[in-house]
Amino acid sequence: MIKRLLALDGVVAVCRFRDDGSLMEGYGGHIDSGQMSALARVAHEYRRMLQGHTDQFSMFSDRRGWTPPRGWLVRGDTRSLCGVAGVVCIFDNDDSNFDRILTEMLEVAHW
Amino acid sequence: MSIVADLMSRPGVLAAGEYAFRGDRFSYRGALSEEHARMASIMCRATTMGVVMEGRMADNAKPGSRLARTRGWAVRCPEYTVCVVANVFCFASNAPGVVDGVLALMRKTLADTDMELV
Amino acid sequence: MATLGNLMSLPGAVAAFEFRASGELLGYEIRPDTPLNSEELELLSFMCAANMSLCSMQSRGWEKITGMGGFSPVREFTLIGFDWSVVVSCAQREAQRAAGQEALAPYQGVVLANTGAAYEASFAALERG
Repeated sequence: MIKRLLALDGVVAVCRFRDDGSLMEGYGGHIDSGQMSALARVAHEYRRMLQGHTDQFSMFSDRRGWTPPRGWLVRGDTRSLCGVAGVVCIFDNDDSNFDRILTEMLEVAHW
Repeated sequence: MSIVADLMSRPGVLAAGEYAFRGDRFSYRGALSEEHARMASIMCRATTMGVVMEGRMADNAKPGSRLARTRGWAVRCPEYTVCVVANVFCFASNAPGVVDGVLALMRKTLADTDMELV
Repeated sequence: MATLGNLMSLPGAVAAFEFRASGELLGYEIRPDTPLNSEELELLSFMCAANMSLCSMQSRGWEKITGMGGFSPVREFTLIGFDWSVVVSCAQREAQRAAGQEALAPYQGVVLANTGAAYEASFAALERG
């Protein structure tokens, strides 16, 4: 079902990964399987790092509502990377609407 | 003797412990409360995970470089230094010679730990 | 503030560098015949800047929760690699900040071969004004 993210404007690739970071499924025209696996691995590791950082932030600030983090976005010069749970996608900044992408990501990531 | 006991026998070491790379288990000895030791293990685990993963990402960006093979880290504070190698942490004073001795012992003793487990 | 040349004279030093708090590499020296280049030093700078920030967050939080002093502000962060270690310092910068200066020094760092690495000498050299 994550494939439906590709129908959104600007989305160029999407993949789902397992808890060990291995690629479960990936879609995107110009990305080969090696690059897709690398994307899965980076997204998995970034997610774990972010979880560790937000856990500490919650511990120190004693404030609820931050953890576990639901997702992350790294906005680059022309492209961005967005992860929610075990799903990550790449999209072009100019052709996309991030609000729509995030809404869809939050939905498909938990299927 | 375990690495933690070895560390605790050195002058200038306040506390030392071990944490599981994954999960919440930890053990420790020294001048920390149980709750503070739990916090220390959470912080050390998170930073170790971070530096190891950053190393792997750097290796993706620059394949073949030796940046990926991270074994540990240390943070030097005004009065204390926190030293972490593999899954062992140590709080040491900044008195001369203490940190060099602690890091040498930790690097030697923990040289064979599989960091892929992080 | 230490010069890159001074840092290169530390035992085990194979490279010395300066970078912004954002991680941007500003200057460097690399010992000839060392398999390191500016691209790798810039990656290291980004990594060390990030960890310096994270350790600052941790040291403040730790002091607040435990009531223990002596951890904040962080002076140096050290990454222990398989063959090399890198020690980076914000001590000069923190001293300038405490003195109310507006223009702050860059971070400085030194890459050490693990064999013969002198961590404490590196801390001292990086902290010397």
